[in-house]
Amino acid sequence: MKLDMEPLIHAYMDGTISHDEMARLNALLLENAEARREFAELLNMDSALAALAAGWEEEALEQAQTGRSTAPSAHRAPWLMATVCVVILMVAAGWWWQVAHRPFATVESVAGAAAFQPGASLHGELHELHAGTLSLITRRGAHVVIEAPASFRFESAQRLRISRGRLAADVPPSAKGFTVVTPSGDAIDLGTRFGVDVPAQGAAEIHVFQGEVIAKATGARQQQSLRGGDAVTMDQGSSTTRELRNAAFIQPDEVSSLKAGLAAGQRTRAEAALQQLREDPALIALMDFEAEAMPGEGVYRMVQGRWPGSRAPEFVQVGDHLKLDVGGDRSWPQLTLAAWVRIDRLGEPYQSLLHTDGWSKNNPGQVHWMITQEAVMRLALIGNTLAPGADERQGYPDSRTPVLPEQGRWMHVAVVYDSAKKSVRFYLNGRLDKETRQEIAHPARLGPAQIGNWNQRDRKLSGRVDELLILGRAMTDDEVHTLHTAGNPYR
Amino acid sequence: MSPSENERHHRFLRAFTAQEPVIRAYVRRLLPTRADADDVMQEVSVVLWDKFDSFQADGDFRSWAFGVARYEVLAWLRDKGRDKLVLDETVVTKLADESAEREPHLERQREALEACMQKVPADQRILLMQAYQPQARMQEVAEASGRTSAGFYQWLHRMRRMLMDCIRRALAQEVSS
Repeated sequence: MKLDMEPLIHAYMDGTISHDEMARLNALLLENAEARREFAELLNMDSALAALAAGWEEEALEQAQTGRSTAPSAHRAPWLMATVCVVILMVAAGWWWQVAHRPFATVESVAGAAAFQPGASLHGELHELHAGTLSLITRRGAHVVIEAPASFRFESAQRLRISRGRLAADVPPSAKGFTVVTPSGDAIDLGTRFGVDVPAQGAAEIHVFQGEVIAKATGARQQQSLRGGDAVTMDQGSSTTRELRNAAFIQPDEVSSLKAGLAAGQRTRAEAALQQLREDPALIALMDFEAEAMPGEGVYRMVQGRWPGSRAPEFVQVGDHLKLDVGGDRSWPQLTLAAWVRIDRLGEPYQSLLHTDGWSKNNPGQVHWMITQEAVMRLALIGNTLAPGADERQGYPDSRTPVLPEQGRWMHVAVVYDSAKKSVRFYLNGRLDKETRQEIAHPARLGPAQIGNWNQRDRKLSGRVDELLILGRAMTDDEVHTLHTAGNPYR
Repeated sequence: MSPSENERHHRFLRAFTAQEPVIRAYVRRLLPTRADADDVMQEVSVVLWDKFDSFQADGDFRSWAFGVARYEVLAWLRDKGRDKLVLDETVVTKLADESAEREPHLERQREALEACMQKVPADQRILLMQAYQPQARMQEVAEASGRTSAGFYQWLHRMRRMLMDCIRRALAQEVSS
């Protein structure tokens, strides 16, 4: 039957069909549902081809008319204006096609992605970004930062397909309609700043920082309008609202300081400093997450750390955590805790850095290290009390300066505890922030603990942790300063 | 435009922009040529805008637009059907209903076309895009490609068949993977 019918359909589409053939086609379609399906599919493809060709022509025209003014007349009837706008938007949201050799995007800046050169042109080819971060500018002026590991391809200057990776887009009015296509759905921009995260496993997320984006899960009939502050997970044909992680995305200005850090040899310096720490006799644990084996049991994503291609656990969902069990064999009169962290969002009630499981009144000295709702660092040892005159209200030593300005950047947090001196010293990015005195100061106790959570619910960390240090002695101010300077990915 | 008018316009554009390719494909499936579909589509977009007030904000824009488009297609067929060879109204009605129902599948087919196009050698792809230009004259495209008109149509049919097979294969793989 198909063999009989196909020439009829082609002739019908080409406008060369005769009266007799048309009658046969009508008869076939009337009585045969299978024939109607075949017919609809061919015409459907014809429509898709025309859509591709329309975008193709538009680009050719655009090329020819660059610089030419097309100011619209002010005296048009409203419906005509609407139609004009509709046509403009149809083109913007439609499919585009590569024409000639004009690139869809150009590489602006590169941090640790050896395969890409600044100024390089991106056409429709597939790109694999194994390590580092890339800042691009599309032909229409949209800025896009893509973080490894990523796999992506521009289908046009207005359409970026990404099957894995994380990107932040800043889309000016000239690139309105810029669309990011993921395996689980699309993000269509309406003039805005937004981020898309496509993890190696799991569903894609859209996060809108500012403006408006249309989210359309693959296969869904309805699209969803997202405004600044909104975020969704797109999974199996539907989008689910989730917490915004606006700081999980690298922005263009961060790419340049990461690049400068690499150029200044920071990575080598950091590795040397790590090596030195590994030889410290008081070392309890140093987790850099670089080993292929998972550092511990838990639920988390492994993503890029501070360095191109390095690894760091990322905690995203409520309940994400990483278990470790170190230093439980004895008590520690002195303790230094330090980590590089990247906080995605601040939230209640606490963001756990390290919470021991054994926190109970019968177990004095158990350690809880976190960032509070007020965005300051806290070191709580159960059974300890504040010295008279301490300004903390909640009974635990807290740092002074909120980490707020550091949100969305890698920052170094450290705390040095000395039970003999009864002191807790907090450091932010290598600088002493505050010292708090204790009245009762038990030696610190460790043992089974979680990073990124406690009780698997209420102390969720949202973000990444890189290079967590647990040291059984008190570091000096200079040592903490050096630790930050050596490990700092920025310049 | 007043602020409320502006807001209305914005709401319309948001809904229409997202659904325009779907509505266009729906219209295309019911009409003989792409040029016919363009004519009707223009009318459809104007009617949708005019009647946008009667559309419920929480309603299904696509279903509503399909209803409007179907009405416009049938009106066009009654008007133009005397001079042109068109499908019977009964066939169009059946096609309209069935293809609206199968739209999710048809949409995936349209999406799959892009990947299939990548498999077409560049020179043939350009020729295909030329043939599918709005207002393209087949005779001229055929001549420019150095083919006879008949030879060009045969080539075009072969390309369509090849792309259709590729699309079906791609979707079958999607289902089985």
